[in-house]
Amino acid sequence: MSYKCSRCKRDVELDEYGGVRCPYCGHRVLLKERAPEIKDVPVE
Amino acid sequence: MTNDFEVEFIEPGERSARFLVRGVSPAVANGIRRAMVADVPTFSIDTVRFVENSSVMFDEMIGLRLGLVPLSTPIGDFEEGDVVTLALDVEGPATAYSGDLESADAMVQPADENIPIIELKDGQHLEFEADAVLDSGKSHAKHQGGVSVGYRHLQRVEVAGDAGEFEEQEPNILRGVIEEAAAEHADADADATDGDLVATDAFDNDLTNRYPGKEVEVHDVPDAFVFHVETDGSFSVEELVLRAAETLGDRAAELESKVAI
Amino acid sequence: MMIPVRCFTCGNVIGEHWDEFKRRAREGDEDPGKVLDELGVERHCCRRMMVSHKDLVDVVAPYQ
Repeated sequence: MSYKCSRCKRDVELDEYGGVRCPYCGHRVLLKERAPEIKDVPVE
Repeated sequence: MTNDFEVEFIEPGERSARFLVRGVSPAVANGIRRAMVADVPTFSIDTVRFVENSSVMFDEMIGLRLGLVPLSTPIGDFEEGDVVTLALDVEGPATAYSGDLESADAMVQPADENIPIIELKDGQHLEFEADAVLDSGKSHAKHQGGVSVGYRHLQRVEVAGDAGEFEEQEPNILRGVIEEAAAEHADADADATDGDLVATDAFDNDLTNRYPGKEVEVHDVPDAFVFHVETDGSFSVEELVLRAAETLGDRAAELESKVAI
Repeated sequence: MMIPVRCFTCGNVIGEHWDEFKRRAREGDEDPGKVLDELGVERHCCRRMMVSHKDLVDVVAPYQ
């Protein structure tokens, strides 16, 4: 899972033991990035 | 029943038309209407593979909008279930239009090119590949070729007498198409003749405008129906009606062969 | 958000006419009713789609 820090905009790998926190700036708000795969969507 | 239908176009048009059919029973008229809505297959986007979507809308919302874009559907070259691939790649700042869709098959193109799909801001990017499937309106409304398809009885207007001289005339509203039976009293149109077909919008849907000071009687003409047909642009009205009649014929033939066994 | 592709009620394609309607009646000062007549958007179900629409892309764009 890749996340992005909402303050310093750097990519963050979430470490389960370290808690939800940006290792660069300590900010606690992380944004989940869109997965890079191609997404198949059925039109309903 | 071996009588022939008599078809006369009142308002011809590519996407919207009005025509009169004589000698058709109400059951057959409704059968044709229903075939136009549910049985004539059209292409419509069915699955979308999103490579990138950083727009403000979710993938599913964009997919839904894409499904509603009408795609031109040529006669005869495709069967139900056939798939055509379309692709789109637009980078912001720009608006992605239906006309930006690139089709793998030159015959299947967006019928309208100016439908906005999504407005992209600076740095936003939309890229996907989509599969359009040929299917009928029975399975999903996005496959309907005809929109607002309907019919009315042809109405015959006859003058029954004079209205009272000092009577206040109330509006006599009638919609559809009339068959003129009292042309000599038609006020608005100098060269009107009996049997003329006049759309009621010509006299603002008010019979008192066309026959001032007259008492009129309106009757439905038996077995004569005025169809109003509009298509979403997948094909012309003429093609839609012909294909609808064809599917109706196919189903009758299928019934016949099944009963024979 | 964006103009719907089709009229909710009758299924007529109306998205096609939005850009011109917006340019002439919203940003320009022409009478919306006359513009819709000229665009061939006749039925009141289709007309309300255009008249009552509000583009919200600019409003939500900062919250990406």
